[in-house]
Amino acid sequence: MSVLIAMAWRNLRQGGRRTSLLLAALVAVTGLLVLLMALSNGVEASMVRAATSLAAGHVNVAGFYKATPDEGFPMITETSRIKSIARERVEGVVDVVDRHRGWARVVGPSSSIWAALYGVEVEQENRLRETLRPAPLSAYVDDVDPARADERPGDLSKLGEPGTAMLFAAQAKRLGVQVGDGLTLRTETLRGQSNTADATVVAVMDDLGLMSNWSIFLPKQTLLDLYGLDDDTTGAVMLYLDDIERAPDVMAELRAVYADEGFEVLEHDPRPFFAKFQTVAGQDWTGARLDLTTWTDEVSFLVWVIAAIDSVSFLLIAVLTGIIAIGIMNALWIAVRERTTEIGTLRAIGMSRRRVLVMFLAEALLLGVVGCLIGTVGGAVVALTLDALSIPIPAAAVQAILMNDRLHLVIEPLELVTVVVGFTIVCGLSALWPAARAARMPPITAIQVHE
Amino acid sequence: MIARLRLLVYMALRSLWSHKVKSLIVGSLMAFGTLLVVLGTGLLDSIESSIERSVVNSLSGHLQVYAGTGRDSLALFGDMTMGGSDWGEIDDFATLRETIERVPGVEAVVPMGINTAYMTRGSDLERVLGAMRQSVREGDRAEARAQIPRARRLIGLLRADLDNQLAISDPERAVTLRADLDRIDRASTDDFWAAFADDAAPDAATEALELLDTRVAPLAGEGQVMFIRYVGTDLPQFARHFDRLRVVRGEMVPEGRRGILINQKYADRVLKLTAARLLDDLEDARLAEVTIAGNAELTAKARRLRGQGGAITLMLSPDDATALEAELRAALPGVEGDLDALIEALLTVDDATLAERFRLFHDKVAPRIELYPFNVGDVVTIRAWTKSGALEAVNVRVWGTFVFDGMERSELTGAANLIDLVTFRELYGQMTADDRAELDAIRADVGAEFVDRDSAEDALFGGGDDDGGDSPVEATAADDFDAVGAGLQRAPRAAVDEEFDPAINKQGLVLNAAVMLRDGDRLTEAQNAITQAIADAGLTAKVVDWRAASGVVGQLATLVRIILYIAIFIIFAVALVIINNSMLMATMERVREIGTLRAIGAQRRFVMQMFLLETLVLGLLAGLVGALAGAGVIAWLDSVGIPAANEIMVFIFSGNRLYPTVGAEHIALALAIILVASLISTWYPARVATRIEPIEAMRGAE
Repeated sequence: MSVLIAMAWRNLRQGGRRTSLLLAALVAVTGLLVLLMALSNGVEASMVRAATSLAAGHVNVAGFYKATPDEGFPMITETSRIKSIARERVEGVVDVVDRHRGWARVVGPSSSIWAALYGVEVEQENRLRETLRPAPLSAYVDDVDPARADERPGDLSKLGEPGTAMLFAAQAKRLGVQVGDGLTLRTETLRGQSNTADATVVAVMDDLGLMSNWSIFLPKQTLLDLYGLDDDTTGAVMLYLDDIERAPDVMAELRAVYADEGFEVLEHDPRPFFAKFQTVAGQDWTGARLDLTTWTDEVSFLVWVIAAIDSVSFLLIAVLTGIIAIGIMNALWIAVRERTTEIGTLRAIGMSRRRVLVMFLAEALLLGVVGCLIGTVGGAVVALTLDALSIPIPAAAVQAILMNDRLHLVIEPLELVTVVVGFTIVCGLSALWPAARAARMPPITAIQVHE
Repeated sequence: MIARLRLLVYMALRSLWSHKVKSLIVGSLMAFGTLLVVLGTGLLDSIESSIERSVVNSLSGHLQVYAGTGRDSLALFGDMTMGGSDWGEIDDFATLRETIERVPGVEAVVPMGINTAYMTRGSDLERVLGAMRQSVREGDRAEARAQIPRARRLIGLLRADLDNQLAISDPERAVTLRADLDRIDRASTDDFWAAFADDAAPDAATEALELLDTRVAPLAGEGQVMFIRYVGTDLPQFARHFDRLRVVRGEMVPEGRRGILINQKYADRVLKLTAARLLDDLEDARLAEVTIAGNAELTAKARRLRGQGGAITLMLSPDDATALEAELRAALPGVEGDLDALIEALLTVDDATLAERFRLFHDKVAPRIELYPFNVGDVVTIRAWTKSGALEAVNVRVWGTFVFDGMERSELTGAANLIDLVTFRELYGQMTADDRAELDAIRADVGAEFVDRDSAEDALFGGGDDDGGDSPVEATAADDFDAVGAGLQRAPRAAVDEEFDPAINKQGLVLNAAVMLRDGDRLTEAQNAITQAIADAGLTAKVVDWRAASGVVGQLATLVRIILYIAIFIIFAVALVIINNSMLMATMERVREIGTLRAIGAQRRFVMQMFLLETLVLGLLAGLVGALAGAGVIAWLDSVGIPAANEIMVFIFSGNRLYPTVGAEHIALALAIILVASLISTWYPARVATRIEPIEAMRGAE
């Protein structure tokens, strides 16, 4: 075996420029693939982060309350019982948080916007505190004093006090507010009655892509007062798991548990809650029903972004792989012709056909391994460097799609191994034809004929 | 010279033929590259021109003008600001319009303004009581009595509604709700309704209605709330210049009249009864030969459809319910149970029954219910937030529904409804200079930050829900019953059928304006000329083309183009390396041949030319094959059309299918690229070949 590798190595080195060019092409393509995969992973990671801190837990126990058959509020009752069942009956739940949901016109001094309201108890919200960071004044104050541009005022923990609000930089900029300023919230019930509340901005946080554009956080009690609701109601109980991959299983388990505890549970509908209003409004039940979802359901309207990146990457890499395969085939084919005499001699001194085949395959495989290793490591290093530089993304549309205001790339070690193995196999496969040709050559022709 | 060229070409062909495998490999790479370029650029250009047709013909016109003083750039198809877009205002449209109209090549300037608001139609109870009031006024008590069962049923539902709300209310709101329930109970007794009997005192019916109107009906709120995005414009002019606009039902709003035209797509996707909408989706899928069983999304829709019966039975009058029950029983043999069970059976569809049920629904059920919350000719109330956060309300008549021809399925163009400019301005909360001065004075006086003049008016005239909100929490469902009633029934500002002078459309405030050109191809030229004319006239306004005006949509097209170019560049870079490699190896094989040529007197230049020509010939042949293949694929796509898979694609394709075309410029570009690329990739191997000394040929290969 080691002889084979040694021979392959020698042959590759003799190939000189031919080998180095092929190697360069392989390195470039694997490097590109690793970069594209890192981008896709990065977008997914940003999405998970934004989704699971802003909009959803890994598993959500939400639901609708219908006072009449033709409308539904995104609200559940018996919050404390639901929370304790989730804590006691399911394994692997590390955190249970509940938030109230609302929808309001938010009015500031310079403008007004629509926003989803999240009523939170800030001391429960570990995720929110970990993920969000106060934004610098330069991100939302026009003509900010340069000396203060980098200041990041605001304190999320103050969200515990009544009549406060936390929002995001893009919203603050649009509304023309800073920390300490007042906002007016106007909610509309589906029947056109409206309630109003004032709130003081206690924190303005860094944007988190598209989703942060329409979320504003308030103390839960403020929201309860706004809608005049009982304190055992909430919008959604959000469960965080030790392993996010288990979310679909845990959801299925919980559905059975809640049904067993006598709750009415709606059929699983993999869409975010705000897409279900019309569906629920058309059904003719009244009262409370639970609706369980995973975090991917709640951001299903964004998953296309990852799918789009993946399919563009796939197409590009497929074409490039085809080209590389042709290149390898061509190079080996020429090598076989060049080394006809050598093959003939080897065959004449007793090397089997099989071994000739393996010899050429080994050459291609070795080229593949070396090229892919360099490409993968190189790609990973570039990806990690780009990530560490955290380059700001210029266009707002791209920011929104990538769920981040900075370029974020994530390297998955396991994927790197797949890339190396996969590409090496492609190299081996494309060498199969020239190698088989070399193996079929009878020793006598090989020695005799040179051209 | 000619002889030399002939010799070179002959040698090139001979050598290509003698190295068949190499020629095939390199040639196929080149052909593939050309194919990609032709296909990619051809498709992209076709898509871009179809996006242009969609954007230009639906909303933007060739160019858009806006003030440019606001925070955001123009985005006609919406942006990510959730209704807070600020494009600035064009205060004096007349001057701007005249300035632009003087620029040669400009056909028209259409004023516009875009806003998002919500629309209400009043509660069912309110409408029934209205009908009863009408009958009583006309002295027809029997007719009024006919409405009583429906009114009492609606009041019963209202009671259940409040009861359910009570279950989740905090103590403070519970007190209010209990008081409301008391009132409803008083209106639920048989004694109360006896006032409508023929032998009751003449005024008793009026009094009872008065009581219901002021004390009970307001509890039902305003009925269904529908979010709506509309473009305010000079409607007759809009129709003249955006010729894809076609009125489907009703008629165009006449000159000088107020009114709204509802987009048929919006009506069908958002307003239509859920059951009918789901049935439409399933039937559309069936016509496209997609089965419910084979499609998860359709299966989910079919399941949702089953639960939609309640909304239907609620709308049926007692007579219609009886008639429908009989008809359905005949049409659906074997179904046990009452009307609810029959309707559920009707709405339980699979691939086998769908066509029949769809027909049945539209024959038997649809004529007895309202598929849309309002009809053409009805008056709706539109409420919009002014920039300062006050709520404006205007009553407006629905004149009809419309589509943009060929783009019926697109939700992007389907989201825009059309409203007259006068109503738009009222909803926008237009302020004159005097208004602003007054507002500043009010602000200074009361220190309230968000009150503007209109809401101050509302406060005076009973707009209870519109003040700046001095108290932190202020529920409209307050204890004072009459105040609630007054607040909810506040008369919206303008008379629905009041006429206005059409000249108003030519002046005053607009947010943006579409500029229609006589020749859409001379866009940049016109854009520059208009920008110059505006600057010369001393006005401030920004002129952007349709692409910039479309916001995210335009950005997406650019993004796709960038991605395609980067991909083609990467593919060519890698292909170059591979071709270079093959050529180099071919050179090495031909050392003897070249050495011999050199030995018999060929110059280095000749060898160089020989190599380059060989590649050029190969590149040309392969390029032609690739280009022809690419053009063939596009021609094939052109004949069958690429179907638009979803509604976004309908917008992008500007119709249900894209018929791409390929032009000479795409083929020329692809050939140029492939020839340059092949020359680059041969350059190095050819130089290596020229360095071969005649002596090497004698030594033999190696």
